[in-house]
Amino acid sequence: MLVSLRWLKDFVEIEITAAELAERLTMAGLEVDAVEEKKPAFSGVVVARILSIKAHPDADKLVLCDVSTGDRVFPVVCGAKNIKEGDVVPLATVGAQIPGGYTIKLSKIRGVVSEGMLCSEAELSIGEDAAGIMILPGNLTLGVDLAEALELHDTVLDVGVTPNRPDCLSMIGIAREVAAITGKTLRYPEIRLSENDEDIQNLTFVEILDPDLCPRYTARIIKNATIKPSPLWMRLRLEAVGLRAINNIVDVTNFVMMEMGQPLHAFDFRFLEEGRIVVRRSKPGEPFISLDGKERVLRNDTLMICDGRKPVAIGGIMGGLNSEVKDDTETILIESAYFNPVSIRRSSKWLQMSTDAAFRFERGIDPQGQLMALDRAARLMADLSGGTICKNAINCCPKPIEAIRDIPLRVKKVRDTLGAPVSADDIVKTLESIEIDVRKDSHAQEETFLVTPPAFRVDLTREIDLIEEVARLYGYDRIPVTMPAVTAASITQNSRERLSERIKNILNGCGYSEVINYSFVTFRACDLLRLDADDERRNVVRIRNPLTEDQSVMRTTIVYSLLETMRKNSHAGTFDLKIFEMGRTYIQKQSGKLPEENNKLGLLLTGARYEDLWHFKDLQGDFYDLKGTLENIFDNLNIGSVKFVSGANEPFLHPGRSCSLMINDRCFGYMGEVHPDLLDGLDLRNPAQISEIDIDVLMACYTDVLMFKELSRFPSSTRDVAFLVREEMEGDAVISAAMADPEELLEKVSIFDVYDGKGISPGKKSVGLRFCYRAPDRTLTDEEVNKVHSRMVKSVIAHTGAVIRGDDR
Amino acid sequence: MMGDLEDLLEKAESDLRASQTQDDILAVRTKYMGRKGLLTALLRNITAVPQDERAQFGKRGNEIKETLSGWIEAALTEAGARRKDDVLLKQKLDATLPGRRTRYGRIHPVTQVRKEICDIFSGLGFTIVDGPEVELEYYNFEALNIPADHPARDMQATFYIDDGIVLRTHTSPVQVRRMEQMRPPVRIICPGRVYRHDSDVSHTPMFHQVEGLLVDRGITFGDLKGILTYFLKEVFGPDTALRFRPSFFPFTEPSAEVDIQCMLCRGKGCRVCGQSGWIEILGSGMVDPAVFKYVDYDPEEVSGFAFGLGIDRIALLKYGISDLRLLFENDWRFLAQF
Ligand SMILES: [Zn+2]
Repeated sequence: MLVSLRWLKDFVEIEITAAELAERLTMAGLEVDAVEEKKPAFSGVVVARILSIKAHPDADKLVLCDVSTGDRVFPVVCGAKNIKEGDVVPLATVGAQIPGGYTIKLSKIRGVVSEGMLCSEAELSIGEDAAGIMILPGNLTLGVDLAEALELHDTVLDVGVTPNRPDCLSMIGIAREVAAITGKTLRYPEIRLSENDEDIQNLTFVEILDPDLCPRYTARIIKNATIKPSPLWMRLRLEAVGLRAINNIVDVTNFVMMEMGQPLHAFDFRFLEEGRIVVRRSKPGEPFISLDGKERVLRNDTLMICDGRKPVAIGGIMGGLNSEVKDDTETILIESAYFNPVSIRRSSKWLQMSTDAAFRFERGIDPQGQLMALDRAARLMADLSGGTICKNAINCCPKPIEAIRDIPLRVKKVRDTLGAPVSADDIVKTLESIEIDVRKDSHAQEETFLVTPPAFRVDLTREIDLIEEVARLYGYDRIPVTMPAVTAASITQNSRERLSERIKNILNGCGYSEVINYSFVTFRACDLLRLDADDERRNVVRIRNPLTEDQSVMRTTIVYSLLETMRKNSHAGTFDLKIFEMGRTYIQKQSGKLPEENNKLGLLLTGARYEDLWHFKDLQGDFYDLKGTLENIFDNLNIGSVKFVSGANEPFLHPGRSCSLMINDRCFGYMGEVHPDLLDGLDLRNPAQISEIDIDVLMACYTDVLMFKELSRFPSSTRDVAFLVREEMEGDAVISAAMADPEELLEKVSIFDVYDGKGISPGKKSVGLRFCYRAPDRTLTDEEVNKVHSRMVKSVIAHTGAVIRGDDR
Repeated sequence: MMGDLEDLLEKAESDLRASQTQDDILAVRTKYMGRKGLLTALLRNITAVPQDERAQFGKRGNEIKETLSGWIEAALTEAGARRKDDVLLKQKLDATLPGRRTRYGRIHPVTQVRKEICDIFSGLGFTIVDGPEVELEYYNFEALNIPADHPARDMQATFYIDDGIVLRTHTSPVQVRRMEQMRPPVRIICPGRVYRHDSDVSHTPMFHQVEGLLVDRGITFGDLKGILTYFLKEVFGPDTALRFRPSFFPFTEPSAEVDIQCMLCRGKGCRVCGQSGWIEILGSGMVDPAVFKYVDYDPEEVSGFAFGLGIDRIALLKYGISDLRLLFENDWRFLAQF
């Protein structure tokens, strides 16, 4: 909320600088986001009086004026029609700067010297009136700088008022805080009314049909008003706090709202049919055109202000076009009411109308403040419009709001909560400085006060609310810094955190960098990945109010995010990527319930295997590069039982270059080359390898218990054999054939070569196995090794139907 | 004759000094010490030496012979070594060319800051816990004392999923879930992704928070100041000035926002801190008794404080990143800097 310092000074003396005030308010919980100096758009313009007006000798449309600034008389040529001798006007003297970048110069206009210029409101950017010279009040001192005389300088604070402090949504509310923190006294505006003889009771009548939504409705009537623009002082105040001046009546309603925090509405009384007000809920489907000219169709729960026949305003939110104050309005009904905050909030949300009035009502205005604001507005309207105030006010209050009284506040509780030696005296003084009534509870066992906050402090209902008031005005900086006893936490509770960290470290070592993508993706993601109609990953969590369609569903796989990252990078000229993301996927299992959230790891490799082309000319990363990285993860975590089973059956993977990852017969992920058709669809050119694995499954298999195996001090013997097998037989099958009848002396068997080139008959391939034999307690003799080895070879042959290469000819 | 010996030694020395290669040195050896060498000849000619000088001549002659052969040996060794170096020097490589490596990967700056924060709180005995990101409105709002139709809901623009289901707007719901499951004392931090319906230079619809909760007997606002002061000085350095100022959060009371002095302008006011000299870094407060009621803790028995901070914002400050959105664009040129 914008706060004018000049306005504040009507209610409280301010002796500190604006910067200091901003700092003190901030430290009392009213954060000042900005301090802005308001300066007039001109300089060198002074107050002057027209002494005489003569005709210009050579120009019909110009006149020659003698203008006095008190100590000097200036000859000025002027073309305006609205001036007369004796008028007080703004004089831009030679050297003055006026808006638009003009500097006033000594000039000769058709042979006559002019030492300056008389200005209109528009020329000085004070108002919109460009028709004639601005006529100033006659009581201004001549020769005084115009900006000073009109009080155009101001300082405006932008205060962030938290939702719990609706009492601070007004100048008086802020002034009250200023008074409390600077030790000054708050002065309320003096309101004296002079009423005419016509009693309002004879003119109108208010009926509240829904007192739960409108506990109080007050009104006054002004007669014989003349609608015109507000005087400058009023316009300046409204402008300073960010409001636009409209006319003297509407401006007063806004002015009083800004001053006291009570939103008001002014009706043109002649448009209120049957001359009365009925407050009721809207009827479903009821149409209504609000002041902004928009037609709205209402539900059944919006509070409407109606006349004898029809709605004339959306209560607390916006008036109606049918009853607005017009240029020829003479009789005005001023509304000052208290509306139910929840009802206003629901309606303004539903109607998407967030007005200044609704903003205040939904936070809770002073339930007792209606009559005072009503009288203040009536007085101002009468003054500015020349109208008269009818006798008495309507004060319809079917459901008074109970004030909260005598909240117990224990001194010890204050100290225990804050950890500060706050004295009973501190508490009393602090609370009393913001108009809170404090008295001692003589019956209580421990030192206790009974505290009654003023009605406008709707946020103070409990002991803790009062403790906060004490703390904030006592000063958070005065509360001593202490340290609670620190107890050790078991790190086993953070095991997933630690596993994630280990995986990230391994991936870093493998050259992979971490990315973080939004958890939401486009609703088209499933289609782009070509997921089957019955794929579980099509059960997306949909966002009802997405920012864009590209962020409209929660992702069910990380892969799409990674491909997007690849696409964005290739647009930026980066074609080599090794990236991973750890994050969640979300699958809607049952509508209306929370979705399943799984922790996943996604990887993507595209482009060069190594970055340094100097060494590795254009070696593209492939399937086995990514597989190696995954193997590194499982090896390092000592998860030995992972199987890579060819053919992942994922529609977005290359059918011949993909595999499923299995652990204990459970599939927990996949990897492979991205399907070439998919790349086209995503506007990607280079092949990419991707993988996604379920961290939660990995977590379940992971243990940090590790047992050391004794090292044999005896040498090993190795034997290499090349087997000719059917082409389609996979390496894994050959290895498992070797492991099918385990030999105690066999330490390890590995593939050292796969070959299907020259010399190998079609349909076959050669798989070279290296067998490594060792005994823990002795050096093996050749004889021993040969015996075991020949059993091994026989076993492989038996299980695979292989022949030993060389034996096939 | 003795003079001839000394002359010979001098000459041999200068010859040796002029020799570069092993062959040169061998030539010197032959020249002086070969069968027909100059020294050999001189020594052989001992008969020409007067009788009384012979003994001394012979002695000196042998000394010189030994010295010279010593010198020659040394020169040969040196030349040999030099020759090997020459061979090796011919194998010279360009040490300025880049090394051969798999480039080490990078950790996202948000993760780095997250880890730093978690490590500090782990050291203070806090346990890391987590909860759902798609969350019941009840845990995200109601149980945190933010009823429906309350203006405080405006503080957190929300993504809605279904009736009663939202994307969590903060990680505070994890605190409530945790308190439901256990009795005090509670010391937890909840890092994770959170979502708000907002997008501009300083807001992304998804960001990361760490929220913390400490509930025990006798916890005070002074303790809140203590823990958070310790934490912020760990992150931003021991000389960091900070201030606690009153604010409002529905789930804490009294509430405090914590600012650190702007590190760029040292409090004088600049663009980064919006001329205020201070940068808002976290929100905190004493747990509101209403929240305790929801989880069946007795506010007369226990008290506690909660706090929350944006990890991304701290990463921005720490690394001087200009635009929050860069964090989630994952441009390699950005990632490679961390
Ligand atoms: Zn700064």
